[in-house]
Amino acid sequence: MNFAFDEEQKSLGDTVSRLLADHTALLAPDLSTDAAGPAWDALAELGLFAMMVPEDHGGAGLTTVDLALSVEAMGGALAPLAAIDALLVTDLLVRHGTPSQQQDILPRVAAGELRVAVAIAELGCGDAPEDVAARVSNDRLTGTKMLVREAAQADMFVVVAQSASGPAVFLVPADAQGVSVRLHEDIDPTSAMGEVTFADVALDSAALLGSANPGRAVARLFDGGAALSALLHLGIASRMLATAVDYARTRVQFGQAIGSFQSIKHRCADMAVAVESARSATYYGIWAFSEDAPDRARAVSMAKAYSGEVARHVCNETIQIHGGMGFTWELGLHRFLRRAKVIEHGFGSSTWHNERVLVETLRMQDADLDAKLAAA
Amino acid sequence: MDFNYSPSENDFRMELRTWLANTLPKGWGETVFEPEDEHERAMFRLDWERKLHAGGWSGINWPKEYGGRGATLIERGIFAEEMARASAPEGINIIGHNLAGTTILAHGTEAQKKRFLPPIISSDEIWCQGFSEPNAGSDLASVRTRAELVGDKFIVNGQKIWTSYAQYAQWCFALVRTNPDVPKHKGLSFLLIDMSSPGITIRPLRQISGESEFNETFFDNVEVPAENIVGDVNEGWKIAMTTLAYERGPEDALGRQVRFKQELDKLVATLCQTMQGGHAAIDNPSIRQRLARAITEIEIVRLNALRSFSLYLDGGDRGADASMTKLYWSHAAQTMYEVAMDALGPLAPLSGNDPAASAMGRFQLSWLQSKAFTIYSGSSEIQRNIIGERVLGLPR
Repeated sequence: MNFAFDEEQKSLGDTVSRLLADHTALLAPDLSTDAAGPAWDALAELGLFAMMVPEDHGGAGLTTVDLALSVEAMGGALAPLAAIDALLVTDLLVRHGTPSQQQDILPRVAAGELRVAVAIAELGCGDAPEDVAARVSNDRLTGTKMLVREAAQADMFVVVAQSASGPAVFLVPADAQGVSVRLHEDIDPTSAMGEVTFADVALDSAALLGSANPGRAVARLFDGGAALSALLHLGIASRMLATAVDYARTRVQFGQAIGSFQSIKHRCADMAVAVESARSATYYGIWAFSEDAPDRARAVSMAKAYSGEVARHVCNETIQIHGGMGFTWELGLHRFLRRAKVIEHGFGSSTWHNERVLVETLRMQDADLDAKLAAA
Repeated sequence: MDFNYSPSENDFRMELRTWLANTLPKGWGETVFEPEDEHERAMFRLDWERKLHAGGWSGINWPKEYGGRGATLIERGIFAEEMARASAPEGINIIGHNLAGTTILAHGTEAQKKRFLPPIISSDEIWCQGFSEPNAGSDLASVRTRAELVGDKFIVNGQKIWTSYAQYAQWCFALVRTNPDVPKHKGLSFLLIDMSSPGITIRPLRQISGESEFNETFFDNVEVPAENIVGDVNEGWKIAMTTLAYERGPEDALGRQVRFKQELDKLVATLCQTMQGGHAAIDNPSIRQRLARAITEIEIVRLNALRSFSLYLDGGDRGADASMTKLYWSHAAQTMYEVAMDALGPLAPLSGNDPAASAMGRFQLSWLQSKAFTIYSGSSEIQRNIIGERVLGLPR
């Protein structure tokens, strides 16, 4: 048992953090998507998208735990969310893809050439991925997906839809006949989210991902999205905490630094405890996801719900501690507030994940009771 | 990062699990419970601690030469999980194990270690803590209990308060003033006081839970042999900080987490069986949300402790992180008991011996007890000052 990251994992996280720090435009107050392209190219050049690709497909064969600190750094740097989808889909292909899907797609994702975008949410559906209305029948996909990140840049959509054997994941080229994208207007335009319509799109025989057990692929995609979201939230919350503390140390009112006032100091202390606690939950969640541990669903839901609430709290507090400056456009705190809210609502809300924590707790207690009875 | 356990760690777990199954009373936690009477319960817990010692499961992380088994911090984590799983009883010599023992291990002389550690581990000697005074609470360094060195003895006069388990204790460690003429932190010493010494009187204090776990302790010309000082004269503040780091630290939090986890499991089981208006209490959607949050927070108490262990194993120092540990668990547990009361619905006020009380009134008692969590071993306000100043570097 060891709760620490090793030197290579830390070093990779530091590298990603330093690389993104050069892309200051990612944090600019104006809601421009201009910075996303250069940041994507830099991450691709670093080889980030090859890290989780198996060695026999030209990658480094790392796990999501190996990349956890890197993803956290991407959260705090407001890195393009398409990069997260790339990692997520890589994990899914490695676990559930057929050899030919892996051969066809992984090298191109690794090189940063093929951009993938995850498409789950729909109008009129709840959080659960298995409740989507999009449907594939007779190898044709019909449905409309919402809130797809960087949708207009995607070369391939990774779509959750109903099939003859239940909910499943389908790989759909963006240039297929019948696919169209409408950009959303939303609170974080830098996420470049779009609505993607699939109008009777013909799918080829390799479109179904994880044909052996389609439901497991859907669950892994969703849990992966939730686990990586928790890391992004952690990155945002850590950065906002540091920003608030810096300001409290230097901003002078009534002749002294405002951080000497307990009303400010204690809020900072509470934020610090919340961030460290979110860190514990999130690191455990990403490990449980990476290892496919028996408590994966519960651990991931705890991480997503908790770190989402912490990120929200810390963003709100940081704006408050900055006073009038915090509410200005030019200081740019709104960028983190907006991004955190977008992430909070993807891959299951806190409410949905809390409910799953309870369901899984009851299931685990029953299982434990069964084990005790069996032993007796 | 790896949460898998090594074969020897798994062996440790199974050995403990088997021992617990063979040692706990038949029907424990289902038909057999702790005694309700406060004194009988204390004696039951003392007896349980002696059983742990007889089985080699007391003070497991202490060095073997002082009666421990030299267990690693990881094994300590496993120990806590298994105690939770078996719903094992609490001990009564918590202050001896977690505070007196750890402080003597860190700062005591070899003679003190040989004299005091074995009877702690065997629970032949129970300890209490003499820190707070009526006028030295959050401002602990302003303690006024005097100790004057006369020949080879300190003569102690003054009053301590909130001394938990003083009525059962053979020994007390106390923070006393040995020099009133220097800045307050620099005139303190850390003494080990035999509770059977002439001149000590204790008076129970009744708590809001109705129990009298803690006391006022009066010292009237109490003689303490000069060798019963830990560290040097007037160096007591530093020693007391070690005690507080353990009192607030991850080992303590993990021990408490065991109890909270047991109560949470019991709460979930109770809510599954409690009918409210044609459906089970567990089916209330708003309660489910808050219960899930409480489950998450109690799990985080455990994960925070394990993360601190990893930090220490990597060579990190114990320090202000203990304040973060304590601030978190105390509020998480308080919130959990508020959720418990809400979840029990209209009958939540029924307690103790009322035949209609849920789970024999345990949640009502725990709810009252939990009000102390954010006050003792440094109030939340003090912890926030420490975190703000020492962890975050905010100005005083």
